[in-house]
Amino acid sequence: MSDVHQESGGDNFDLSQFYQIFFEEAGENLDLMEQMLLNMDLVTANDEDLNGIFRCAHSVKGGAATFGFSDVAELTHQMESLLDKLRRHELDPNSAMVDVLLESADISRVLLARHQTSDTSDPPSTVDLVRRISELAAGGGVTVASAPAAPASVPSAPVVEPVPVVAAPAPPAPVAPTAVAAEPPPAAASGQRVLEVRMGPLDRPELADGIKDLFRDISGLGEISELPSQQADYRLFKVVTTSSNDDLLDLFVFHVSREQVHIQPMGGAPTASPAAPAQMIAPVAATPAASAPPAVAAAAAPPKPAAPATFGFFDGAPGAPGSEGAPKEASSPVTKAAARPAAASTSSVQPEAATIRVAISKVDQLINLVGELVITQAMLAQYSQTLDPTQNQQLLAGLADLSRNTRDLQESVMSIRMIPMSIVFNRFPRMLRDLASKLGKKVDFVTLGEATELDKGLVEKITDPLTHLVRNSCDHGIEMPADRLSKGKTETGTITLSAAHQGGSIVIEVRDDGRGLSRDKIMNKARERGIDVYDQMTDAEVWQLIFAPGFSTAEVVTDVSGRGVGMDVVKKNIAALNGSVEIESSEGFGMKVSVRLPLTLAIMDGMSVGVGDEVYILPLSAVVESFQVKGDALSTVGQGSQLVKVRDEYMPVIELEKVFQVPRYNRDQDSDIMVVIEAEGSRVVLLVDELLGQQQVVVKNLEANYRKVPNVSGATILGDGKVALILDTSALVRRSRH
Amino acid sequence: MEVMEKREAGSKAGAREYLTFRLGQEEYGIDILKVQEIRGYEKPTRIANAPHFIKGVVNLRGTIVPIVDMRLKFNCAQAEYDSFTVVIILSLRNRVVGIVVDSVSDVMELPTDSIQDAPEVDSVIDSDSVMGLGSLSDRMLILLDIEKLMSTMDMGLSSGE
Repeated sequence: MSDVHQESGGDNFDLSQFYQIFFEEAGENLDLMEQMLLNMDLVTANDEDLNGIFRCAHSVKGGAATFGFSDVAELTHQMESLLDKLRRHELDPNSAMVDVLLESADISRVLLARHQTSDTSDPPSTVDLVRRISELAAGGGVTVASAPAAPASVPSAPVVEPVPVVAAPAPPAPVAPTAVAAEPPPAAASGQRVLEVRMGPLDRPELADGIKDLFRDISGLGEISELPSQQADYRLFKVVTTSSNDDLLDLFVFHVSREQVHIQPMGGAPTASPAAPAQMIAPVAATPAASAPPAVAAAAAPPKPAAPATFGFFDGAPGAPGSEGAPKEASSPVTKAAARPAAASTSSVQPEAATIRVAISKVDQLINLVGELVITQAMLAQYSQTLDPTQNQQLLAGLADLSRNTRDLQESVMSIRMIPMSIVFNRFPRMLRDLASKLGKKVDFVTLGEATELDKGLVEKITDPLTHLVRNSCDHGIEMPADRLSKGKTETGTITLSAAHQGGSIVIEVRDDGRGLSRDKIMNKARERGIDVYDQMTDAEVWQLIFAPGFSTAEVVTDVSGRGVGMDVVKKNIAALNGSVEIESSEGFGMKVSVRLPLTLAIMDGMSVGVGDEVYILPLSAVVESFQVKGDALSTVGQGSQLVKVRDEYMPVIELEKVFQVPRYNRDQDSDIMVVIEAEGSRVVLLVDELLGQQQVVVKNLEANYRKVPNVSGATILGDGKVALILDTSALVRRSRH
Repeated sequence: MEVMEKREAGSKAGAREYLTFRLGQEEYGIDILKVQEIRGYEKPTRIANAPHFIKGVVNLRGTIVPIVDMRLKFNCAQAEYDSFTVVIILSLRNRVVGIVVDSVSDVMELPTDSIQDAPEVDSVIDSDSVMGLGSLSDRMLILLDIEKLMSTMDMGLSSGE
């Protein structure tokens, strides 16, 4: 960013190379702002939150103005001025403001997307929004004017308010030093420091003057005055502020690059006496550093205790009579706890060192290389087994070290691709808020375990199914407030989204305390549709029925019609990721959908099976059981298709030997091991020669250099360096249907 | 980039380098810039229902590479796999492919004027894939456009969409 500002004056400097960075940053800032707005408690809104939201709007505005996206800059500028009043406590936040700010964030995103794609169509109009924001901002201005206790304050300077009412309290800028000395806000005084800021060497020193505008625009930042500089290409400022050096540097990069700024305390120790800042205040000063308590204090507030573990779904069923309010109590600490680190991170000290942006292709390349290393290591380990331990002691010790280091390296590298579930979870509060208000329902949204990490590729693919599940819970699960009350539940329903690691997989649960699934209705519906059901079916089996294609939960359980993808698509999408879905439900008390996924797509738990001289890999997630059979256990239908009876159920048999035309050298040998696999809701039996073992395999793409092979989903490299094909269980199941 | 420039320069000067190999009694040449490496033959993993000349796939340092036996593709009298059998790994525009040949003979520079157009003959090789015939004293070199040859449909290397 700094470079942009420095050189933007150049005649033919191309800003466009920085566009992408700006779009990414602006997107992140808008997301963060939205999240903080939603988490903000209107009554107890603290300065830290408000400042955080303000900073987000400010960053977007700054960037947009730099790159000449005037519509975005204008809108965010309006947001900024409203937020500025909020954080100076001239206005009390209310939900109308939150609404309008959320809406503005949406419009900003649309506008940014237009710039990003160079869309030339008509932009969405911002006139109405701008008017509403300024009305809200102005409304507050009046209250402040009538409140004598409020500190003399200044509307943020460059706001060009189109509405006449705006005029606000309006005492002119320079506040008499004595006034400040007389009533110094205690919080401000304690953290206030007097700094000497030296900037240079600068090619265009006048750029540095822009930072004076910063102090004018951002109230609460402090005072700045220019000192005479000895060198022509240096600028010297005196700054009185409560902000940390890093915060200042972050602001200054809008004008000069970080390396060119040197901050040191002026005249030694921070000023503790209330009189001192008054003396320091220069005539240029615009606003007293009034309402900004040290951000540190707020950030250091003790984190709220983690949510009580309300995992056990039916012990103390949420919303059940008797445990009313419990979910509510649980919800607020959780969301708060989530909000806190997010807010703290914006004000924390080193935002730059925390992350770096790396192209995903580089990470993938790294993962590939490590994968090769693992294979090489496995080969060495295999060959070393034949060595004489007494003669090759050192070599073997080295190999053992290599093995450990390789494993560690692989773990670390895989973790690079891992991103926290919060990326997915963060989109839901907003969606639920909108949906619930549209449906007239009251819903609390609780998230647990958003720090749980998942492969980036999976995160992208799990978002849509999860969205559907959460939407379902809100739409069909949670009852209308009146219904809930009449059933003795709390008026507000709770939807809980949680993620946790369990062994080698991640389990994501969507839970609600709504009406739950009705066994009878599902059974009736299934009979209507001609699905074979019987009364002795277990609940779990009945719930699985809702995954049947075209079996809308809406028609079954509620009068509200279903929309978008059905549960069958959810199940299919999750199965495509080698995952599984389970449902638990109790009528009247809610339901829980558990999605179990592997941690990564790049590595899979596989079962290797031998057919003839060849080895194939079965995804372990698809394997149900395996057993040995006698040849006469097979029955045939129409002289062709073979069936085998497994516990009273006939299943089609697929002979891998025939599917893959495996040559037989040893005529005596015969396939007699059966592996039951399940995919797309059906089970088939694969006939193989032997089970070789179970191992983690690195999934390789076969299509990169070759082509799609029927019944094969990919390939992997075995410990001995040979390639083995991974079976496509869905394709095999489909094959058996024809 | 540099390679490209060199190549341009080379073609202007009228000379290109070819890797020559033998298939039965015939001698073939391919553009050396398409060759990634040459290695010994190892038994590939068979792929079901593939054309007979696709021997399968091998692991080339973590990459899955299909192996085409040119001797089977060009209907050579015999195709034996012994310790002298060689695989040429080709780095083509969008894929890496290995081809099995009887032996690699040489890398040689051929001036443009010693290359003549191939006469139309009935052969298993699509005439589009033959760039021309190079004559080296008494030997005839069949110059293949290996990129074109490998991307033809009947090679069965791509899904053909």
